[in-house]
Amino acid sequence: MITLKINGLKVTVEPGTTLLEAAKYVGFPIPTLCHMEGLSPYGACRLCVVEIGEGSRSRLVSSCTYPVEEGLVVRTASSRVLRARRMVIELHLASCPQSKVIQDLAAKHGVHQQRFHQEYEDCILCGLCVRMCEEQMMAKAIGFRGRGENRSIGTPFDIQSDVCRLCGGCIYVCPACTLRCTYNEPEKAVCGACANLRPPCVEKDEFDDMMCYMDPCVACEIKKN
Amino acid sequence: MEKSLSVKEFSRFRQRILSERDTEYDKPTLVICAGTGGLASGSNDVIRVIKRYILERSMQYKIQLRITGCQGFCEMDPFILVEPGRQLYPKLKMEDVPRVIEAAVGGYIVDELIYKDSRDQKCYHCQNDIPFFGKQTRTILGNNEHLDPIRIFNYIEVGGYSALEKVLSSPDPDRIIEEVKKSQIRGRGGAGFPTGKKWELARASKSPDGQKFIVCNADEGDPGAYMDRSLLEGNPHVIIEGMIIAGIAIGATQGLIYVRSEYPLAIKHALIALRQARDMGILGENILGTGIDFDIEVVRGAGAFVCGEETALIKSIEGFMGEPRQRPPYPIEKGIRNRPTCINNVETLANIPVIIDKGAEEYIKVGVPGNTGTKIFSLVGKIRNTGLVEVPLGMKISEVVYDIGGGAVGKARIKAVQTGGPSGGCIPASMFDMPIDYDSLAEAGSIMGSGGMIVMDENTCMVDMAKYFMSFLKDESCGKCFTCRKGTQRMYEILDDISKGKATLKDLDLLEELAYAVKDTTMCGLGQSAPNPVLSTLRYFRKEYERHIVDKRCDAFVCKDLVGAPCQSACPVGTQAWRYVAHIARNEYEEAYSVIREANPFPSVCARVCDHLCEERCRLGTSGDDPVAIRALKRFVTDRIDPSTYVPARKPWPSDSPPSVAVIGSGPAGLTTAHYLSLHGCKVTVFEAESEPGGMLYCAIPSYRLPRDIIRKEIESLLDENVTLKCNSALGRDFTVAKLLDGGYSAVLLAMGAHKSRPLQLENEDADGIYPSIEFLKAFNLRDEQLAKGRVGVIGGGNSAIDAARMATRQKDVDSVAILYRRTREEMPAFSEEIEAAEQEGVEIKTLLTPRKVLTTKGHLSALECVRNELGDTDSSGRRRPVPIEDTEHTIELDTLIVAISEDSGTDCISPAKSSGIEITKWNTVQIDAKTMQTNKAGVFAAGDVTTGPNTVIEAIAAGKKAAFMIERYLLGGELAQPVEPTLPKVYVEPASADMVEAQEGGRVETPRASVDWRKRNFAEVEVSLSAQEATREACRCLRCDLEFTKPKESEEQHAEPAAVGGK
Repeated sequence: MITLKINGLKVTVEPGTTLLEAAKYVGFPIPTLCHMEGLSPYGACRLCVVEIGEGSRSRLVSSCTYPVEEGLVVRTASSRVLRARRMVIELHLASCPQSKVIQDLAAKHGVHQQRFHQEYEDCILCGLCVRMCEEQMMAKAIGFRGRGENRSIGTPFDIQSDVCRLCGGCIYVCPACTLRCTYNEPEKAVCGACANLRPPCVEKDEFDDMMCYMDPCVACEIKKN
Repeated sequence: MEKSLSVKEFSRFRQRILSERDTEYDKPTLVICAGTGGLASGSNDVIRVIKRYILERSMQYKIQLRITGCQGFCEMDPFILVEPGRQLYPKLKMEDVPRVIEAAVGGYIVDELIYKDSRDQKCYHCQNDIPFFGKQTRTILGNNEHLDPIRIFNYIEVGGYSALEKVLSSPDPDRIIEEVKKSQIRGRGGAGFPTGKKWELARASKSPDGQKFIVCNADEGDPGAYMDRSLLEGNPHVIIEGMIIAGIAIGATQGLIYVRSEYPLAIKHALIALRQARDMGILGENILGTGIDFDIEVVRGAGAFVCGEETALIKSIEGFMGEPRQRPPYPIEKGIRNRPTCINNVETLANIPVIIDKGAEEYIKVGVPGNTGTKIFSLVGKIRNTGLVEVPLGMKISEVVYDIGGGAVGKARIKAVQTGGPSGGCIPASMFDMPIDYDSLAEAGSIMGSGGMIVMDENTCMVDMAKYFMSFLKDESCGKCFTCRKGTQRMYEILDDISKGKATLKDLDLLEELAYAVKDTTMCGLGQSAPNPVLSTLRYFRKEYERHIVDKRCDAFVCKDLVGAPCQSACPVGTQAWRYVAHIARNEYEEAYSVIREANPFPSVCARVCDHLCEERCRLGTSGDDPVAIRALKRFVTDRIDPSTYVPARKPWPSDSPPSVAVIGSGPAGLTTAHYLSLHGCKVTVFEAESEPGGMLYCAIPSYRLPRDIIRKEIESLLDENVTLKCNSALGRDFTVAKLLDGGYSAVLLAMGAHKSRPLQLENEDADGIYPSIEFLKAFNLRDEQLAKGRVGVIGGGNSAIDAARMATRQKDVDSVAILYRRTREEMPAFSEEIEAAEQEGVEIKTLLTPRKVLTTKGHLSALECVRNELGDTDSSGRRRPVPIEDTEHTIELDTLIVAISEDSGTDCISPAKSSGIEITKWNTVQIDAKTMQTNKAGVFAAGDVTTGPNTVIEAIAAGKKAAFMIERYLLGGELAQPVEPTLPKVYVEPASADMVEAQEGGRVETPRASVDWRKRNFAEVEVSLSAQEATREACRCLRCDLEFTKPKESEEQHAEPAAVGGK
């Protein structure tokens, strides 16, 4: 067993536990976007950063990927963590303001404005869909390609994948397009098509056409505005 | 090649090669750098020429040829180094190659072709004496010139594989690790983790099946860094030797060289070297019969910058996308396929054989404690000697930049150096005394990185530099971490806004906040160091950012959207030089005149004496050619067009009673203010202390540069019904500021100029025969007194010294004139064409002299005692300090001495201002708010030399123009300081026909001057106007930078068509 200190509290957990799990275990909330139980930790959204170490050697790490270490001192809500977290949320809000998940996060953390050029992206590349497809659906139909600002999610060569079973798992876990596809409450989803069809994240260009046979479609409405 | 079966056999083989070496080396050898840099400069052609020459003449028994990897002196490529004399023949042309060969065979030196220092033209007959090499300690890189990378024997000849032999004769991993730990070597990849410690951890780390990996990280991707490449290309065996030793130390059986595919030559040489090592039995199974298995493979990376990060590198080797992951677990615990993997940089591994061979104790003698050994830097950018340099850690940056690098290329001073590539930071020139080691660099906000050193001078914009690196990083970020991917992109956006003048100061704070957040929250080293260029430039060059944001100026003339046409934005009054040059090319001289006159009320004066900042910044000039002769073109127009063709737009004052303004001083600043205020309906009275208006134009500038009638004519045209001139009335003597304000003047402008020369501060300075330059010039210009007699000395190196000297040569009782300056001619601040003209007229220029004592006889100057100087260290301004040499005192006999060091306003006009309660700076100038031109007293403004100290005419005109706007705003009760907009070209002038432009040939026109014999003895104007043909030709040379902003957009249809074709 490994003993560490989280926010001054002594915690004993099994080796291999992540800091996020350990903090949750003792009840310290840490916001996440790209983390989901049942999927392997990825560390992409950087929302779950916590401060470890002391003095000048202290640093921020993503708690979802960092394994517990004996005697580690962890602070989940130090001013440095909060400052960084707010900037991460602000960046998310600047790229993907229409996501309900991100709006809620911003409201919860008191981020009321974003100061960058506003973008409307429908993907934050959190990788949940990729991991869902690979680890839970055992399909590996979609993956990342490109790097830097050209990174995107898609099927190889953008051809509809043979291994995709149109399960909709990718859309179900997506924090960015939840609002768009199933409205803000799943039972009130206007068309429901997104839960059955190819993931819109994959086929951005054909997305409009695909949804259009269901009229009215929220996706089209949002795109038009 | 025979395979050695035991260590002993290998040892004997090595000894044999070493003994053969001594007999081989009696014939001269031509050494040629054929690294990637050399090949790019054409060394392959040189090699071909040499081979043919040798074979055609059957000289192969007299001379030999060695083709090596990069030797470091890339600036001089292609070059030949002749052994054994070690003469270096740089930048060879093909036709010169045979002469070098003959000289090498004949044992003599070709003096015209040998290396010369580009600054003082001193010849160096031996490579070791060249300053570039002299200060380096080339432990690792030095071998490159001694061996052909594809010949293992060459490597053995220089002592290669002796460390391996030593290790293999009694393989003991602990001893190797102990030795490496003792050497204190730190990883050369950038972070500086102690290599010995890493090996120890890797050795202790357990592998499930006993397999461990050693990886040589040759994924060097920083722009401007190529030392790993050069090592792998030039000496692959040293890496192999280092890797085998590392493998034995940590217990690895497999080594991998991860090298990017962009390095084909490095891959080729590494593969050849590996094959040779295997053939010889020092690589593979059961090395030299010791029972140790170790083999090396080359893995090619696709060239992603992030793959230099160790966890991403492992992913890439495993065949996945190069994405970093969270550490721990560290690669030494779980690396390639979850096996312990030790990753070392190329240069670290190259150091290992040296440590083992010489012993750690010997090794730590180089460098400083904690930062031992040498480090290779690629010195690039705005520097004289680009290339690879290897220096002991702890050397000062200034030594690397100025002594080895040779300092700045052009006139612009070195401003900063970027270390560590895109993820490093910049270090300003003021901190060049800092030692280069891992800790000092980190403290200064930079990193060692892999060792790129990019030198930047005043023509580098720091915002643009940060933007460039951010653009690189946003493309090269793997994109996994949100904050790295979006953070770099957002930082780039903000920097882009700043460089386009669209940002606010709030954005600057946001940029900084974001930079810190990115540094804190990203996962791998790339993201954590990505904000470094931004943070370090913000730390040291925040003013430059603010200049972009607030003043919308890019002082380096790089940011296109702020600069517009460089000639226009360089001009203090914003003259649209491109526009009148364009009109001249179209023979539209009247339009050209209007353009000039609109911006500048003194066109004819400026056509003669302006310091033409426009030409300094002309893009034709900065891109290698000579700049357009803009001033000569202006002279051409102003000589030819009557000023009356331009009728300035006038407007009445908005209310019935126009206000009165007092302008004190009738120099260019005062008269400009008076002119522009009068155009807007104000009543202006100009007070002048002397009998003639014109200020410095009249009393300081000699008539051979600026004829008096030109000044008079120009001033007369400015005196209209709204302007009253009162000569012979001086501030303090005849009136005070308070009296003017009480006496009905609503605003006052102080523009008295700077009329007092600073003293030398030597004894006997008040002796007869010693004159401050201003007094000397005034005496002649105002009163026609010729003060210079006999032998004349002028102290100083500025334009006023040259004016005084040239004026003295023209006076009747003068025998000789000499200028005494404390630095060298290159450092003289005067215009080079003025210095040249002075020399033509017989002025002697004595440099490196400092006056020590004035000797007098009967109260009259008899001689000046001087001491000689030499140039010492480079100061933070990038110029070398003059240092007096002791015991070199000597006297120079003189009858007249003119002191032209600098001027200030002098007590005559400053003290009355001071007594009226106006704030004065410690330099004896009037303190103003630079944005509003207002002094501490409301309604009292100041402009020109009285606020800046001695300055140029055009700056005074610009200040006067600005003061006029400010005074008008003040009188109308508006806000004085208002946001600025960048001055961009707005009017489209159709270019002269292409045929006509193409028909013009030749370079920059020479400004015609009167003959030396004629001009020497009179005061008539020296420079002559261009002919119409010359003017057209010169105007056609203009690149028309304005068209980018002014050219009307082509219609949509024309655009649509090629796109449609491309779509198919």
